[in-house]
Amino acid sequence: MTQPFQHARVVRATPSSRIAMSLCVIVLVGLVTMPWWASSGNIRWAIELSCYLAIAQMWNLLAGYAGLVSVGQQAFIGVAGYMLFVLAQNFGLNPFVAVILSLIAPAVLAVPTYLLLRRLDGPYFAIGTWVVAEAVRLTTSNIDYLNAGAGLTLRVMTQYSQHEREIAFVLLCALLLVATIGGSYWLLRSRVGLALTAMRDNPIAAASQGVNVGQLRFLIFVAAAVGTGFAGAIYYMAQLRITPAAGFDPFWASMSIFIVMVGGIGAIEGAIVGALIYFFADRLFGEYGSAYLIVLGLLTLIIALYARGGVWGLLKKLGDHPWFPVQRKLVLEDKR
Amino acid sequence: MSSPILSTHALTGGYGDFQALFGIDLHLDKGEVISLIGANGAGKSTFLKSIFGLLPVAPDMVRFENAPVGGTPAHQMVRKGISMVPEGRRLFTGMSVEENMRVAIDNARMSEAEGPWSRERLFQLFPILKEKRRQPIENLSGGQQQMVAISRALLCQPKVLLCDEISLGLAPKVIREIYAVLPEISAAGTSIVLVEQDVTLAREASDRLYCMLEGRITLSGISQDISREAIASAYFGA
Amino acid sequence: MQWLDAIIQGVLLGGMYAQYALGMALMFGVMRIVNIAHGDVMILLSLIVISLAGVLPLGNIGLIVVIVPIAVLLGWVLQKFILNKVVGADPLPSLIATFGLSIALQNLMLEVWSADTRSLPNSGIASASFEIGGIYLGVLPVLVLMCAVVLTGGLDAVLRYSRFGRGLRAAAADTEAAAMTGVDPKRIYAIATAIAVAILGLAAVFAALRATVSPSDGSAQLIYAFEAVIIGGMGSLWGAFLGAMVLGVAQAIGLRIDPGLGILFGHLVFLAVLATRPEGIMARKK
Repeated sequence: MTQPFQHARVVRATPSSRIAMSLCVIVLVGLVTMPWWASSGNIRWAIELSCYLAIAQMWNLLAGYAGLVSVGQQAFIGVAGYMLFVLAQNFGLNPFVAVILSLIAPAVLAVPTYLLLRRLDGPYFAIGTWVVAEAVRLTTSNIDYLNAGAGLTLRVMTQYSQHEREIAFVLLCALLLVATIGGSYWLLRSRVGLALTAMRDNPIAAASQGVNVGQLRFLIFVAAAVGTGFAGAIYYMAQLRITPAAGFDPFWASMSIFIVMVGGIGAIEGAIVGALIYFFADRLFGEYGSAYLIVLGLLTLIIALYARGGVWGLLKKLGDHPWFPVQRKLVLEDKR
Repeated sequence: MSSPILSTHALTGGYGDFQALFGIDLHLDKGEVISLIGANGAGKSTFLKSIFGLLPVAPDMVRFENAPVGGTPAHQMVRKGISMVPEGRRLFTGMSVEENMRVAIDNARMSEAEGPWSRERLFQLFPILKEKRRQPIENLSGGQQQMVAISRALLCQPKVLLCDEISLGLAPKVIREIYAVLPEISAAGTSIVLVEQDVTLAREASDRLYCMLEGRITLSGISQDISREAIASAYFGA
Repeated sequence: MQWLDAIIQGVLLGGMYAQYALGMALMFGVMRIVNIAHGDVMILLSLIVISLAGVLPLGNIGLIVVIVPIAVLLGWVLQKFILNKVVGADPLPSLIATFGLSIALQNLMLEVWSADTRSLPNSGIASASFEIGGIYLGVLPVLVLMCAVVLTGGLDAVLRYSRFGRGLRAAAADTEAAAMTGVDPKRIYAIATAIAVAILGLAAVFAALRATVSPSDGSAQLIYAFEAVIIGGMGSLWGAFLGAMVLGVAQAIGLRIDPGLGILFGHLVFLAVLATRPEGIMARKK
């Protein structure tokens, strides 16, 4: 640069991101007002979709940024769900307060899990998380206090009217989305986000640039566990019932992997696109059972082999219109 | 002199989108030792890897015994008669000295008995290796490891030996010991390409010399005839 | 006496797990790939064996003779069309690819064979047993264990002393340097995968003889194989064998305490090893 420039600004918002932001606000307002305009069936769908979005985005943060591929996130879904049921049903706590308190369980489980498994690299870490999830499931099935394999029912919910419950659920879902998706966006735009992106691209180089990779991974692992657990608690509260087989179902991991890989790993937009695809595919083809799952499996395989960026990666090739821009652009202005 | 055993023709190449070599013409005659000098990042190692099929190049860019061989996978190059002492030695950890040698023997162009190089002969050349033949490679000193790396490459029974910075990180005494072996390798009929950063060493050990700068050959000629000044300007691009 | 019996039954169970673990140890050792579909491939081979036994009058030996070539072919296809494309420093693609394959295979098997549990018709060997000092030993489990010992010893010797074994260890240590020394890494990978899946073919026949199999059993087999490899220490075949014994004994003891605790005990021992000796009980010191 030979000529001194007058003004430089760092710009992050793009036209597409402004549209996306406005849409997010509209969606959130729409979600929160659902009990006054939507049917109960639609509200149930909205709860389910919110949970998928949150769980997938948490997995995306783990695998797409921290390089921690987990196939055991169901451990956190299950423990949060169980903690909620115990607090609300056995201790008589207000269930909507209990949802928040139940987040302690995944956080407490995540700490020793990470400390144990960090010794395993890459693929072995993944199966290690699976073993932890299985161990927690089997332990739960053996605890009589938790009604062993038969599971628990959330009878206390009957004290609220359906309308009251729906209001609480949509508020919780809005909070869940703001916390997981909004939280990820905030994280990726912060200083930590720069470190995370550097770590995603090259962990060794990032470490040499002063990024504390181990500590950052640990924090992401715990945060993702809490976010995933939050979704799990809401999901099973809406179901009114939890069993070890459902709460700790490895299918939760399969679903996360499918959503993020098909949508596009390493991008918030990818997780959203993937969750929408999965949600509607499930509605349309879910009845075909195993044939549908064969297609899901093969699709994941093909994406891993030939299109690592997923659908969002393909869309990006057509034009770069980020919904959640995390990169900074330097704009030079000549104000003479 | 007949046609060269190994030659490159307007060789270009690099890593992915990054071009590191811009039209290299070089030839190696039978029985000759040439050295390729240049600063760090001049493209010397990239050049060797391109010859050896470890980086993609067009077939006509590399000719070996008058046939186009550019882009042939490394393991097939070994069968044709080229082998390499890689930078940093790259020995097989967890295996003994002799096992490292046997991997080469297993895949060599001809058997140990038919070819010029046998473990017996190499143990005469490097007596310390005979002593340590059952030791895991990790227990050897840097110089001893370099001897194993050279032995491993020779046991492929090559017609052309590519040596990538074999003096790097070694004590002067050890370097002399290793360079003392080169005449014997030449005498066995093997042509040698030496990649070196140490100009004096390269000049003394070779018949001809090429100097590389930023992916281009900036100087070439008979090693003894080239003045230090010419080398210095070609080396640094003054 | 009851506990001695539990330990012996555990060792016999470990023989089965050793067969699952051996292929995984071999593939991870050379390609740094963990095939998530490892267990599903084994179950697929078991179901093929069971269906074959229904139509062809083959004895158990005949079934082994037929299934092992099928397994080799399957291994080759797996290598050629999937694993070769995802080998690399980044573990994510291979993990995701084989994870997708696992889901697809499990559900494909559900479509073809339904969710029923199946096993090979009892030919007498499955229920035969003999007694030593008041402890009953099944003939089949003893055979499985002996087979595991022979396979581990044989494979270990192949790795140590054969041309293929040296090439494999060289490629595992430094793939590019191995290629520079004349080793064709792709060929080595293909052979290693073929051997790993061939062993699974043998294990598949034993699994179908010993117990029942159903399409969704693969995940559990994968986890047991994985636990055995980690308990024993990565990169060591005898380590994987020993890990399988430890796992089998832990499960058998847990089972004796409470029928619901068997598998959980295996997981707990695995986690305990990870906490106290993460390099595995047989690992060489670095």
